[in-house]
Parts: sequence; C-alpha cells; structure tokens
Amino acid sequence: MGKRESLQDMVVVDLDVHVNDTPTELAPYMDMPWRKSLEHLKNVPWRYLSIPGYSPNFAENIPLWPGGNDRMNVDSPAQMKKELSAIHVDIAILFPDHLLGIPVLPQKEYAAALARAYNAWILDKWCDKEEGLKGLIMVAPQDPEDGAREIEKYKNEEGIVGVYLPCTGLDTLWGHVKYDPIFAAAESAGLPVLLHAATTLVPHFPFNLHQYETFFAQHSFVHSFSMMANMLKMIETGVPVRFPNIKICFTESGVSWVPFIMMRLDKEYVENRRDIPFLEHPPSYYVKKFFYATQPIEEPDNPKHLVQLIEMFEGETQTMFASDWPHHDFDHPREVFNLPFSEEVRRNIMGENALRFFDIDSVGRRNKFKIETNTTK
Amino acid sequence: MMPDENVAGNVEDFPVGSHKVIKIGKREIGVFNVDGAFYALPNICPHQVGPLCQGKVSGTLVANKDTNWKRTWDREGEILACPWHRLEFNIKTGECLAYPEVKIRSYNVKIEEGKVKVW
Ligand code: FES
Repeated sequence: MGKRESLQDMVVVDLDVHVNDTPTELAPYMDMPWRKSLEHLKNVPWRYLSIPGYSPNFAENIPLWPGGNDRMNVDSPAQMKKELSAIHVDIAILFPDHLLGIPVLPQKEYAAALARAYNAWILDKWCDKEEGLKGLIMVAPQDPEDGAREIEKYKNEEGIVGVYLPCTGLDTLWGHVKYDPIFAAAESAGLPVLLHAATTLVPHFPFNLHQYETFFAQHSFVHSFSMMANMLKMIETGVPVRFPNIKICFTESGVSWVPFIMMRLDKEYVENRRDIPFLEHPPSYYVKKFFYATQPIEEPDNPKHLVQLIEMFEGETQTMFASDWPHHDFDHPREVFNLPFSEEVRRNIMGENALRFFDIDSVGRRNKFKIETNTTK
Repeated sequence: MMPDENVAGNVEDFPVGSHKVIKIGKREIGVFNVDGAFYALPNICPHQVGPLCQGKVSGTLVANKDTNWKRTWDREGEILACPWHRLEFNIKTGECLAYPEVKIRSYNVKIEEGKVKVW
C-alpha cells in the first residue's frame, strides 16, 4: 500500500476567505460625494463587521463578555498568503469582511458606489498580488443594472474568477426576476456566482432571528436558512433553467441542509409542479447541479455520516473546501481532508472541483479547462 | 392480462370531455372521452396508489423559452390530476408530467356498434 496522501500533496483551493475592507481602504476608490463619508469614518474605531454608516450590524443587542476567542482580520495580501500557507491553502477566493452586510444599506446609490469601490480596490490591491489570491465582482442587490455593468467591466480580468451575491439581510431574495440582468451578465461572461450570508437582525429573511437572545442561536440559523431561502427563490423562478450555463455556489452554510431541501422540494413538486412549469426536472436535479462550500463543516460523532450526507446529493463533484479564514468559526483544511472519502473524492473536494468550477489551473490562471458549464456532472 | 374485449358502456354514457371509472373483473379502469377520442388508464396512481382516474380533467401550465418564460394554459381537457396529491398525467399517453420517465400503461379502446370496448 502506498503512502497516504497528505494536504501538501494536493491542490487546496479555499472557497471563502475574508479581507478587511475598511472605509479608509476603500475611500480612494469611492465616487464623490460618498468618498467624503468614507473618509469621515476613519475616526470611527474598527469593529468586527460593524461600522456605523458602512456595515451596520443590528445584532449587537446581546451582552459582550471578556475572554473567548479573538475577532481577527487580514489587512494585506502578504499577511493572507502567510496565514493561508500555514494551513496549506494554495488558492483562495476573497470575500469582504464589512461589505458582507451591503444588502442592509437602504440608499441604492450609496450601495452601488460601495460595490464599485470594492471591485476597483480588490483588483488593485489584492487579486494576484500574491499567487493564488483571486477576487469576485461584488454586485449590490440594490442596483441590479449597475451590478451587471460591473460584471461587464471586470469579466476578463485575470484576477477575477466569479461574482459575489451578498445575502446578509437581503430583502428581495436572489432569484427574483429583478436580478435577471445580473444572472444574464454572469452567464454571458462565463463567471460562476457565489452566495454568502452573515449574521444581522433585520426584518428580512430569516426574520425570526430576532426571536433569539444568544449569538449561539442567531448564528446557528442565519447562514443555512439564508442559503435555503435564496436557493428556493432561484428554483421558484427557474433560474437554473432560464440561465442554464450559470454555476451557482452556496457558501458558509455547511452541507447537511442540502439533502433536506432536496427531499423537501421534491416532495412538494409532486403536488405543485404546475406552479413551477419551467422546471424540466424535479428540484433535486437542480440541487445536485449547484455547488457547495464546506465551511462550517459539520462534525458528527461518526464522520461516515457526513460522507453519506454528501453522497445523498451526489456532492462528490459539487462540494468544495472552504476555511472562512480569518473568521472565528473557520475550519482547518484537515477537518475536511480527514473525512473518510476515497482518495479521488478527497482531491476533488479539497481543490480539483474548485479548479473546474472557476476554470483555473493549479496556480490560479484563468481559462485553463474550457469546460462546458455543469459538465462536472 | 386482459385479452378479451370488455364493454365499458354505451357511447352516450361518455359525452365529450367526460370520464368515468368502470370495473372489469377486479380491475378499475378510467375511460376518457377527449374531444371524441377514447382513452383508458388504470385507476391506480404510481405515487401512493391513489384512485387516479377519479381525479379532475383539465389543462396545465407551461412556461419555457418558446413562451418567453410566461405561464400559458395548455392541453385543456387532456390532463388528469390524481385526486390525492395532484400528480398530473397526459391522458393520451399515460405520461406523468412531473416525472416524464414515469409512464402508466394505457388500455386499448374502440367503439363498436355504439359500445365502448376496452382491452
Ligand atoms: S397517490 Fe396519486 S399523487 Fe399521490
């Protein structure tokens, strides 16, 4: 028997790492008059995913205690590279910190300007500044037309590999036809889209979050329910049929909800198919074609159960490792690596699926596979 | 097997657009008159064995590229919905709309001397 592969022997792609997108960092890239506001915010001390007027976090209604773990941030590509190398990550997909919460901002022009500034900044300061750091085009849900323009503007940049659809406190869920320009632009650009949520207490889905009085409870629900809500909306409006070439990934929600939603929707489909007549197959067909990032990976007593859960939605080709570095709930790659997969499935989940998903090679260069969309299955 | 022709009733018992469940031996069979053409299907739904042919006949909704993704009403009088969980079947082919790979059997029907015969 040969020696078992180790993490160093394979390409590890990390679907979800976060950069510290402070107002001061973004200010030079911001259009007027909004630049004035970001400059003004330099006097506000940094707080984790919570800056008034920028990343309002309405979840700060519970006691804060000393002790516990730190809230960390990454401020430079060099720091990111060093920290990710220490956990054997070769390629990492960059998401924002603060602008995770961009959907809660009520002013459309401001939100769109922030997304534009972020895109210019991430490309200028982060993408490919260290090998394997790849960025996403952020689109503000408040202004779908502007989002489509941003995709058009950056689609051919070597440092850009996809489109980020923010979900934190999202009012109108992704999949509503008002977002069609974004999906159309992503599809024609050949870029995948990635959904990502974070905790906030706004009266939008999942709105019952305000019922919970601990971070334990709020954080347990928010990510997975957001992903389910958005997935259901996309299936309800036929996104995977109307835009058949888009690859869609759900992040930061683990994977155990996927078999649930798949079976739940198929059950409903029996009775209510004619409500969604554009579907050419049962919902599970589309659920199995979507992609999933692992973090926060579930940790059942019996790790085989997790492998079985992934097999239930034929996720061996659709599941991709993510760490969520440097956030408090990050996963070390070995947590996923050590699951009882076959060697091939392990390689796929740790990196190869992501290379195909983003159409990049093992150092992050684009257009290497030229694979047709959805042909991983 | 049901090799023999069985009389399901008189033609005038099945006006256009109507359907009825008849019993032939132990078998329950739904007989349908769709625009003057006759069809017969087993009264058993492949889902949870509901009495399929006691369901309503109507049309269905279609939306695809050709309709510019707008919902349109289609095949009026040709779609049978199971009375239990509403799975839809194409009366003419026995095909299940939700799961096209599922197709229930069809019986042969003919009209002879004013009688509807099924086999
Ligand atoms: S038994 Fe016919 S739909 Fe369930």
